[in-house]
This record gives sequence, C-alpha cells and structure tokens, in this order.
Amino acid sequence: MKFDLSEDQALLQSSTRDFLGSELPIDKTRNVMEHHADGYEPAQWRSFAEMGYIGLTLPATAGGQGLGTIELAIVLEEMGRVCAPGPFLDVVLAASLLAAAGKQDALLADVVSGKTLVTIARQDSPFSGNHIEPSRFENGRVRGTKYFVPFAARTDALLVTTPQGIVLVRAPYEVVPLQTIDLGQRFAEVKLDNEGTLIGGPELLEKVDLLAAVGASAMMLGLMSRALEVTLGYVQTRQAFKRPIGGFQALQHRLADMLLKTESTRSAVYRAAWCLDTGDRDTALACATAKAYGGDASRYVCGEAIQMHGGIGFTWELDLHFYFKRAKTLEQFYGSTEVQLEKAFAAAGY
Amino acid sequence: MDLQLSDKHVKFRDELRAWLKANMGRPWREELRDPKASEDSLMELRRGWQRKLYEAGYLGMDWPAEWGGRGATEVEKSIFEAEMSGADAPPILNTLGIGLLGPALIHHGSEAQRRRFIPPMLSGEEIWCQGFSEPGAGSDLAALRTSAAIDGDHFVLNGQKIWTTFGPWADWIFVLARTDSKDRYGGISFILCKLDTPGVTVRRLRQITGESEFGEVFFEDARVPRENLVGQIGEGWRIAMTVLAFERGAMGLAAAEKYGRDLRLLAETCKELGREGGAVREKLARLLVENEVLRANGLRMLANLADGKVPGPESSIEKIFWSEFDKRFRETALDILGPGGQLLRTSPEARPDVDWSREFLWSRAGTIYSGSSEVQRNIISKRVLNLPQEGR
Repeated sequence: MKFDLSEDQALLQSSTRDFLGSELPIDKTRNVMEHHADGYEPAQWRSFAEMGYIGLTLPATAGGQGLGTIELAIVLEEMGRVCAPGPFLDVVLAASLLAAAGKQDALLADVVSGKTLVTIARQDSPFSGNHIEPSRFENGRVRGTKYFVPFAARTDALLVTTPQGIVLVRAPYEVVPLQTIDLGQRFAEVKLDNEGTLIGGPELLEKVDLLAAVGASAMMLGLMSRALEVTLGYVQTRQAFKRPIGGFQALQHRLADMLLKTESTRSAVYRAAWCLDTGDRDTALACATAKAYGGDASRYVCGEAIQMHGGIGFTWELDLHFYFKRAKTLEQFYGSTEVQLEKAFAAAGY
Repeated sequence: MDLQLSDKHVKFRDELRAWLKANMGRPWREELRDPKASEDSLMELRRGWQRKLYEAGYLGMDWPAEWGGRGATEVEKSIFEAEMSGADAPPILNTLGIGLLGPALIHHGSEAQRRRFIPPMLSGEEIWCQGFSEPGAGSDLAALRTSAAIDGDHFVLNGQKIWTTFGPWADWIFVLARTDSKDRYGGISFILCKLDTPGVTVRRLRQITGESEFGEVFFEDARVPRENLVGQIGEGWRIAMTVLAFERGAMGLAAAEKYGRDLRLLAETCKELGREGGAVREKLARLLVENEVLRANGLRMLANLADGKVPGPESSIEKIFWSEFDKRFRETALDILGPGGQLLRTSPEARPDVDWSREFLWSRAGTIYSGSSEVQRNIISKRVLNLPQEGR
C-alpha cells in the first residue's frame, strides 16, 4: 500500500508543472481569456497534443499513451493549478467516448494529434427541469437544440447524445455563443438539423461519466490547492493592526479548514482514480464522492480565498476570481452535485 | 499509488474476521440495550472481551514480543480497529492503559516498570485512567498545577485531575504533575499512582448522557514511591506528547465503518417509515458522501503507514473530520427520524438498531476530548501552514 505517487507519476507531475508554468503563466492566460474570441489559444492546443496529454489514457493503438486515470488526474490537477483555459477535459472525454464506441480510428487519431476538435453535446435544456425535449435521431438525421456545448464554435464535430444513442455530427452546424461567468470555459447553444452517424448506445456514457467526475474533481483540486497557496502567501505579508493578518486566529482556523477540505478532496480524488484503474467494486461511489465533495470544497476554498483578500479579492485585477468562477463551472458540469448525490445514493444501494 | 491491502495484511484481516465470527458474542449495540445491563455489568463485559482479545494475541500487537507483540505495525492495528468497528464488537476496557500508557512505558519506562505493569494492563486485571486535564488546565495542558513534592523516596501529590475517563472503574492513574513550579514544560513529571493510595479520592461526574464514564480525582498528600516515576524528573511533557501522538493514529477507517453501518440502518429505517422524499434523500446522500471522504482519508493514512511514513499533523485533519462529521451525522439523523429519535434506549418504542439519542449526545464529546477541534486547528496552522502564532 502506498498513497504517494510512483516515481513515473511524480515525474509526470513535475514535468507537467514545469510545462504549464512556462506555457500558461496566469498573466498570459488572463490576456487570452479576456481577448481571444475562443477563450483559449488554438495554436497552443497543439502543444498539449505534443506532450501526449490528449491521448494520455487511450491505448497505443489509438495513438495514446495507455496510462491510467491517476495519470490523467495528475495532469488535470496541474491544469487546475494554473486555471488553464480551453477544452482539455472536454476533448479527453470525447476521445474516450470515441474510443469506447470503436470503429472511429481515423477521427480519433486526429483528435489525439490535436488536429481535430470534438466535444460532447449533452444538455437538452439551459436550466435543470423536466420540460426537456431531447434531441432525436431519426432516419440518419439528428434534430434538436443542445445547450452549453463546450467550445462548440471551434469544434470540427460533436458527439450528440440522444435517446437513440450517441450520434457523430460533423460541422457545420448553427452555433450561438452563450456568455457565462467563466471566460476560460466557452459554451454555445447548437441548433441541429444535420446528418449524423450513430456510433453507440447511451450506455457508453456510463464509463465516460465516471471519468468526467474524477477529471473535473482533479481540476477542482488543483484550483483550490493554488487558491490556498496564494492566500497563505497573502496573509503572511498583509499587515493590519501592525502585524501580519495570518497571525490572527480568526483566520488561522479558517485556513486550517481550507487545508482540511483541500486534502480531503485529494484523498477522495485519487482514491476514485485508483478505483477506476483497478476496477474496484467501490468505483461508482468513490467517483460520485470525489465530485460531490470536491464541488462544495473548491467553491468554499476559492470563496474563502477571496474573502481573506478583502477588497482586492473582489477586483477583476486579482486572479482569484478566475479560480472561483472555474470552480463553480466545474461544480455544475460533468455531473452536478445533485446528480452525483443521486449516483452515490444508488451506488450504496440505499 | 496503491490502495490495495498487501497479501500479508489481507491474510491478517481474514484471520481476524474468522476469529471474530467464532469468538464475538452479541454486537455491542445489543449489549447496550439489554434491559438487564448496568454500567457495572457492561464494564465487566468489556473486561472479559478484552481478556479474550489479549489471549488471542490482538492487543499490544506492535510492541516487543515479550509484551504481546507479534511483529505487527500501525497498519495491523488500524485494520484491527476497523474490523472491530465493522463487526460492532464491544470496546475493550483498558483503552487508555493500552493506548497511551503502554507506549509510554515501552518507550520511556524502566525494565522493572514494564515487567510490573504491562501484563495486567493487557489482560484487563488492572485498569488505568489518564490524569492529564485539570479544572484550570484543559487545552492549555501545560498550565497544570497538581504538584509532586519529593520527600525522601516518595513523591507527595497534591491537586486535582478532572474529566478522568474510566476514573470510577480504574485501579491506577498516570498523572502529569509539577516537580518544578517555575519551569512550564520542563517542570512536569510523569507519575504512576494507585487509586487506593491514602489521600486519593475519586468522584464520579455525571455526563450529559446520564452516564458516569468519567470522574475527577483529588490528591491530598498522597504518597507515591519514587520508583513510580516514568522517565526522568521533568521529562513528563515530552513523554505526554509522544504518547498523545499514538492516540491520534489512523482512526478514520474505523470511524467510517461505524458511521457507514449506522447510515445504512438509517436509510433502511427511512424506507420503512416512508421517508423517501427529496429532502431526506439529499440529507442521506450528503452524509454518505462525507463518510466516503472520511474513508478515503483513512485509506490514505493507512497507505502512508504501510509505506513507512510516521503520521504527522495530518492526524489532526482526520480528528477534526470524523468528530465534526459525527455531530452533523447524529443531528441530521434526529432531524430525519423526528421526535422518536430522542427516545432513550430503555423505551420500548425506541429504534432497535441504533441508539440514536445516545449517539446524538455522545457526538458532542468527540470534538472536545483528545485535543479539541480548536487545538487541532492550532496544530494545523502552526505545524502545517507555518502561520505566525498569536500570543503564544
């Protein structure tokens, strides 16, 4: 038994941290998110492919590295630490879905090499509720409207979920951008009346959903780790009443709770990743736990980080709001807390 | 990363499970609600159960072989605790002797002290209580004032200890006492005192559950032979701190087992009562998720122990997590059950599976004893976050 990363995993962690540190410094990221129409730099996307990140968990036959969910969690945690903008997690999930469906080798190879962008179009309604009319696949055509499709404007194809199964639809389709709080995670409404190819049944999403839960929570872990670090630095230097504010117990105990939530999320995330990799019988419960707990924890930690910075914490100028917003976005997507709670309930057999 | 128990540890766990199946009587919750049970009879039951475990070699497993050791480590101990918890086995009686004094004697005691005290401690013939807290020294333990004056070959103890768990049932107490009134930390010594020593009085304290598991101990010119000093004069604080680190071992897994079982029973009760609406489901699911995080923290701690790592301040995270969760869990359980959750276990209407009202009250203790949540947060902010300390 061992909780620490293996030598290879630790190497992946440090190389990813170095790479993202030079590739995505927060000033550059801020500039890209504020000024680039896509919220990320497509040119930079190729570098992720070159590093092997996109195909990390895919088999070598699909151009991937054949690594596990733990390795994916390591990379996503680092992406969270720098608040990386762009569709990384979305494309990883789409690639995993394509791989699970099979018979899409050429497209998959292009996705893994960074040439082609594919994401999953999932939401049938902008708000949660039961008035939803799902998109339908009939006679070779998919018709309907999908909401909050990740980075739809840049995609070359979409994997559209329908009651009939998962349908591969190639661009062009009608894309209406949706403006949301997170500038690094762009969404759009997509109106579909397109030809498509059915690539598999809805059950293919089950495994992808588990990966989505772990992946999103790993990214949230990175967000909150960094937000806590930044805040610890701030409270040691910021003076009030002639002393560093980090000397006040009123803040110390809350910082201790921030650490507790961050480290508890770490335990939950890596346990879930390990379960997925080993096919442990607790996998479903562990994945739902990581996402449900991590969602609350990252919003809490990033929120406390803002509070402890005081007025400057509420400014656009400080970077923390990007972390806070990403935390909220990740919490609501990839299986919201409500969805994960139901999954946990079912997994425990209650 | 690997969270799978090694073959050796799986073998240990399976043997323990088989042993429990063959040797354990009724689950603890059934013993507790037996109408014939009294506080005294339950203590005797725990003593008998402890003896069985001792004879089977499950106590002091990580100590040297001559004191019951079997080359085991914190890993086997944690597995043992988790299995005991999972099976709802009765707790042993001498938890403080074996948990705290045993390690103190093994690390700091003399050969003669080990020979004299360890065997009856393990067998349950001599029960120990812990004389640390005082009316004026709780979280600020080093403010303790009980004095031990040297008089020839004796110490003369004067003062008062309080919140002394098992005080009313114990035969002996290990006491932190001042041998120097001026040296805050270096003036404290670690002394063993028999409770029937003239000048020692034990009084029961009634807890919020109505039970008297703890008490207070008064010393009035109580004479204790000098050979009952553990370590050197003035070494008491250091010994106490190493010993407390043992108390904060890998408790998360055992706690998650217990809460997981109670939570499942609560979910079944909800079904039976037709409490299956969204509000109740969400409450149950949130508790479930938190308990799984507790389990994940416990697995991480266990894996670190197996990896040869000494538990550091992360045990403070575990302590805060389980004790604060316990309170939320028990409060929520009562909310879900409605007024019936408040019924005492002696009431024929009370739920037969879990003693919800007692658990609700007991949960208030966990965040106070063994280093309150506030003390644990101080430890984290000082030793992990390296924050400047306020007024200390």
